[in-house]
Amino acid sequence: GGGGMKGGSKVTVVPHRHDGVFLAKGKEDALCTKNMVTGESVYGEKRVSVQNEDGSKSEYRVWNPFRSKLAAAIIGGVDNVWIAPGARVLYLGAASGTTVSHVSDVVGPTGVVYAVEFSHRSGRDLVNMAKKRTNVIPIIEDARHPARYRMLVGMVDVIFSDVAQPDQANCIDSTVPAEAVFASEVKKLQAEQFKPAEQVTLEPFERDHACVVGGYRMPKKSKPAA
Amino acid sequence: MALYLLFESASGYALFHAYGMDEIAQDTQAVRDSIVDLNRFGQVVKLTAFSPFSSTIDALNQINAISEGIMTDELRNFLELNLPKVKEGKKAKFSVGVFEPKVGSHISEVTKIPCQSNEFVLELLRGVRLHFDKFIKELKPTDLEKAQLGLAHSYSRAKVKFNVNRVDNMVI
Repeated sequence: GGGGMKGGSKVTVVPHRHDGVFLAKGKEDALCTKNMVTGESVYGEKRVSVQNEDGSKSEYRVWNPFRSKLAAAIIGGVDNVWIAPGARVLYLGAASGTTVSHVSDVVGPTGVVYAVEFSHRSGRDLVNMAKKRTNVIPIIEDARHPARYRMLVGMVDVIFSDVAQPDQANCIDSTVPAEAVFASEVKKLQAEQFKPAEQVTLEPFERDHACVVGGYRMPKKSKPAA
Repeated sequence: MALYLLFESASGYALFHAYGMDEIAQDTQAVRDSIVDLNRFGQVVKLTAFSPFSSTIDALNQINAISEGIMTDELRNFLELNLPKVKEGKKAKFSVGVFEPKVGSHISEVTKIPCQSNEFVLELLRGVRLHFDKFIKELKPTDLEKAQLGLAHSYSRAKVKFNVNRVDNMVI
């Protein structure tokens, strides 16, 4: 038991370039988020408590990029994750809610996370996690059929999708290089009015995975006057 | 031909009336632009009726039906009470835009109320979703999210076979 990283009092926490994300600096640097539910870990992750200048204490939870693709994308240098304090997020493929709990920390009390997961087994963990985090709205339903859960969601600012597809990356055709699969998936997104802005691979944390960031129905840029 | 819109929310059923959309409907981009701005959207879409769910159990029954494309007695009453009457043997002079075609065909079959679900209707319902709490006077800011939170927990707890009415003790 007991949270904290090795090095104890020597650990300092500084804001990350991404709003709502932090970096714990001890012997080794670790990505972390400010714990909304002080004193509790969600999935056994380490906690770091630091004293603020005014004497109060803040607690942070370490965010492991080997367990979270979003954390891997942030460490991989993604330019903008759009998930920030106050954001309204639709999170598809929430699984047991480990990453969702960090997204819940990032968006904070003024944000909302609609977390959709179809598997009942991981859904139980998701629902339990959401009991203590009231900015997480747990939805046990098939993410691919939004009509079934339309009564539960509002308009959102960001969609994060990590839904396993039967034809995902390597499963499509393991003889095709991952880059070619990524490119064809991006083409599918473009066909749905999605304008890709950046793509980062999740190496070395995940093999043959990439994170694509883009905008939906981006306004057309008007041509500059000649 | 008048167009109404059915919006199923976590707080209750709502019916909207869409005005003068025919000319805008020609241009999808114009519709898209008009839904973002509440001042413009509020001129073309007006609230006709809102019926809040009577209890958490009622809300759970409604979402269970709606997610399967079924019209409940409560929804039928709500529609028949708030839409113009359709005379026996005559064609209705209006139609109802619905999010999902299955519930639309169930409504039409039972009540003879004509329903439609298409890109144009979905675009308008997207606008309704964006501004919903501003249309309903009874809803204070964050009320809708509280309703979504409560209903999502009951709906999801039923799916994973937890007791919907209370918080289960973790058994490890």
